Amino acid sequence: MVVLASVFIFLGLVFLLIAAIGMVRLPDVYTRSHAVGLTDTWGAFFMLLGLALYQGFSLNAVKILVVLILLLFLGTVISHATVRAALRSGLKPWSKVQE
Amino acid sequence: MIFPVEIFLLLLLVITAGAAILVKDLISAVLILGSYSFFLAIVWAWFGAVDVAFVESVVGAGLATVFFLLTLFVTAPKDTRIHPPSPPWTALIGLPLLGLLLLYAASDLPKFGDPASPASVHVSPVYLENSMEDTLTPNVVTSILMDYRAFDTLIETVVIFTAGIACALLLRRNRT
Amino acid sequence: MRETLLFVAFFIVILIVVYLYRVIQGPTVFDRVLGLNGISTKSIILLVLIGTIYERVDMFIDISTGYALLNLVGSLAVAKYLEHRGSA
Repeated sequence: MVVLASVFIFLGLVFLLIAAIGMVRLPDVYTRSHAVGLTDTWGAFFMLLGLALYQGFSLNAVKILVVLILLLFLGTVISHATVRAALRSGLKPWSKVQE
Repeated sequence: MIFPVEIFLLLLLVITAGAAILVKDLISAVLILGSYSFFLAIVWAWFGAVDVAFVESVVGAGLATVFFLLTLFVTAPKDTRIHPPSPPWTALIGLPLLGLLLLYAASDLPKFGDPASPASVHVSPVYLENSMEDTLTPNVVTSILMDYRAFDTLIETVVIFTAGIACALLLRRNRT
Repeated sequence: MRETLLFVAFFIVILIVVYLYRVIQGPTVFDRVLGLNGISTKSIILLVLIGTIYERVDMFIDISTGYALLNLVGSLAVAKYLEHRGSA
């Protein structure tokens, strides 16, 4: 169980690292929302899954799973709302050809 | 276990506080203050003060950010960039001196978690020994706030509730 | 295992610094909102980690639930606000 938890925590760390790199390197809001909305959510998913497995079968593990499900919804909903607000306020998406 | 995570967190606190002052845009300053509250709550949680961390995350990161933004939404002009005036030279000299004085005074304080410090020898042992059999509550802070000082908390809640009613009455919109 | 978890917490604090760079630097307000969202996700993970390190997860997990819900309220308020007024 502990080995499986370690594997999941390490996988979550890798995802979080990729999300952080994307947060710095990507050019504008629309592309950066992929880093926060997708990669970061997966990182949190694996991280909390690993920590819940580390707890074993108990009430705490179930609570961690509740937080995990909340995060799965919240990260995506918030990035969607932010990007929609950006689009409606008239921010142009980045393109390789700068006109 | 001496591991300097909290030093990095305190450094982050200083950086965010400075950035919230120096940034030119009011909305950005509000958002940076939100991240400041997150760091402060993590520092409280790292020191084991879970209740303070909960209040900080609820009030500081959640409610204060929303209230600031609502205020900006109602009052501020379209361009919320600010041009701060340069600070007076008395503040530039006096405030660092005051900070050094406070740091010098803080070196006299007892160590973190010191069992022989004056705060932990006066009434704390009585509460810690008797709270479980008196109140059957595992969290001592909750038992003190909600049982030993129940009337205090009750009247505090009444005061805050009255203030909330007054605000709602004053600020409501008249739908005609 | 406890030392490993401490190392993981340290690593996440370093990642928070990266997001903080985006919050402070970010050219538009939306970058700052996204960075703040990332910071709050990291804070939730860090709280559960601290609880696991102290072996008192039952105390810390409730705060992280509150964090997650309040984060949703705050970020949606920001998004609604910016959608109404446009941005700089």
